[in-house]
Amino acid sequence: MEITLLQALALGVLAFFAGLDLFNGLTHFHRPLVLGPIVGFILGDLQTGIITGGALELVWMGLAPLAGAQPPNVIIGTIVGTAFAISTGVDATQAIAIAVPFAVAVQMGITFLFSAMSPMMSKCDEYADNADTAGIERVNYLAMTVLGAFYFLCAFLPIYLGADHAKGFVEMLPEELMAGLGIAGGMMPAVGFAVLMKIMMKNVYVPYFIIGFVAAAWLEMPVLAIALGALAMALIDFMKKPETAVVATKEEFNDGI
Amino acid sequence: MESNTTTAAFADPTTTANTPNQALSTVADTEYEDQSIGAELTPQDINKMAFRSLFLQASFNYERMQAGGWLFGLLPALKKIHTNKNDLSKSMKGHMGLLNTHPFLVTFVMGIILAMERSKQDVTSINNTKIAVAAPLGGIGDAMFWLTLLPICGGIGASMALQGSIMGAVFFLVLFNVVHFGLRFGLAHFAYKMGVNAIPMIKANTKKVAHAASMVGLTVIGALVATYVRLETTANITAGQAVVKVQSDVIDKLMPAFFPLMYTLLMYALVKRGWSPLKLIALTMVIGVAGKFTGIL
Repeated sequence: MEITLLQALALGVLAFFAGLDLFNGLTHFHRPLVLGPIVGFILGDLQTGIITGGALELVWMGLAPLAGAQPPNVIIGTIVGTAFAISTGVDATQAIAIAVPFAVAVQMGITFLFSAMSPMMSKCDEYADNADTAGIERVNYLAMTVLGAFYFLCAFLPIYLGADHAKGFVEMLPEELMAGLGIAGGMMPAVGFAVLMKIMMKNVYVPYFIIGFVAAAWLEMPVLAIALGALAMALIDFMKKPETAVVATKEEFNDGI
Repeated sequence: MESNTTTAAFADPTTTANTPNQALSTVADTEYEDQSIGAELTPQDINKMAFRSLFLQASFNYERMQAGGWLFGLLPALKKIHTNKNDLSKSMKGHMGLLNTHPFLVTFVMGIILAMERSKQDVTSINNTKIAVAAPLGGIGDAMFWLTLLPICGGIGASMALQGSIMGAVFFLVLFNVVHFGLRFGLAHFAYKMGVNAIPMIKANTKKVAHAASMVGLTVIGALVATYVRLETTANITAGQAVVKVQSDVIDKLMPAFFPLMYTLLMYALVKRGWSPLKLIALTMVIGVAGKFTGIL
């Protein structure tokens, strides 16, 4: 069957909102289980949409975004894959193979956005300096609009132009440069930590920083364990010399001074 | 304070941290001008915060991660608490610091932090508490939601969908979000109440609480530098027949997370020399892209 312009636009808009839901909202209507039937409904074949959605849900199960690592994009994979499964009649799992280049493309878009938003944080610092709350809100809305637009394009182009024609756009993307930005992205939190440490670090706390680093780097302890260990150290310190009745102790402590 | 000064003297020769003078000036900077307890937040205010917490990752980026969205969620309540414009600005600046936590459990942190804001704690103290509570929630949330709730709801839903029933999708959405929104709003109110109950204790021990928060906060930051910053070299050294992989054969054996630590300390040194974050971001991008093209990163 032929997909009309209106249907392709509707699928693009669906990708826009589903893309936002992946990071914001998190109602998880962006899962294949829910997107499948919606794509089916838009293309007039609800039943195939439901079954394809169920099959793709199983494919993506376990591919959750853990600790910042990005799995193949579930939204573009599902919307483009299901659309092709319905329009060409191919098997759902074959259809997602067609969607893979576009799922990769949207991932590059996300890398680009996360890189481009880093300098924007200095603008946010400025807004904070002026107590400009509306400015902070604008930055957040802007970032979501750009993110949604990436999703719209990566769903609309292959569905409307056909995967073969749309691949041309994807091949134009500078892959090496994007990979470089991805590496820079991994290093970038160092800047965030540096800014943070400028405010928080004092000589007294250097030993604790070292303890935390050693526990994570060599001992590979989970952050929760490290935080609880640090809490214990802090409590020992906190209870050493009670200032008020809050930390009442039965024994008489001699402070030694 | 005796114990603190001895620790400081002990740490002094080896450290790159602030000089005492700078430390003193930052302390003054981080105190709120208006020290009276802030306006009470109604349950509606807390609900509003919980709703806005849905946009925690709206302006996610590599440098500050969720900071922009985190501040977005707190803004209405902060405006209510800090009627003094300078205080509002101080508070907002503090909340623009790097943050990464679980997007479902974040309201637990927000509730505690709003109670601390109301009691006008030192900005540094608030931010240390924020990091100390927020960072461990990441791992807890991953285990609870991505590895437990999602597979359960998705698995049941998918088996229904494969039989052609639309109820699979409905069941999935309802079950998942009852837990999701229940926790998001429940934790917000719970944490805020808990924090407010603790206000008298915190107020009475401001200095000690700040010190304790810094200890935990800086320990966690040390741990996060090793886990969040990713920098590895792909370089190999060829010596005759032998190929030595610098990262896995040398660095990882001597000191894991060596490059992340060194790069963070370099950035810290440059920040203290007055480099702006913008410059450091540009430098990082150049290194990342150049490293990729030359094949050493």
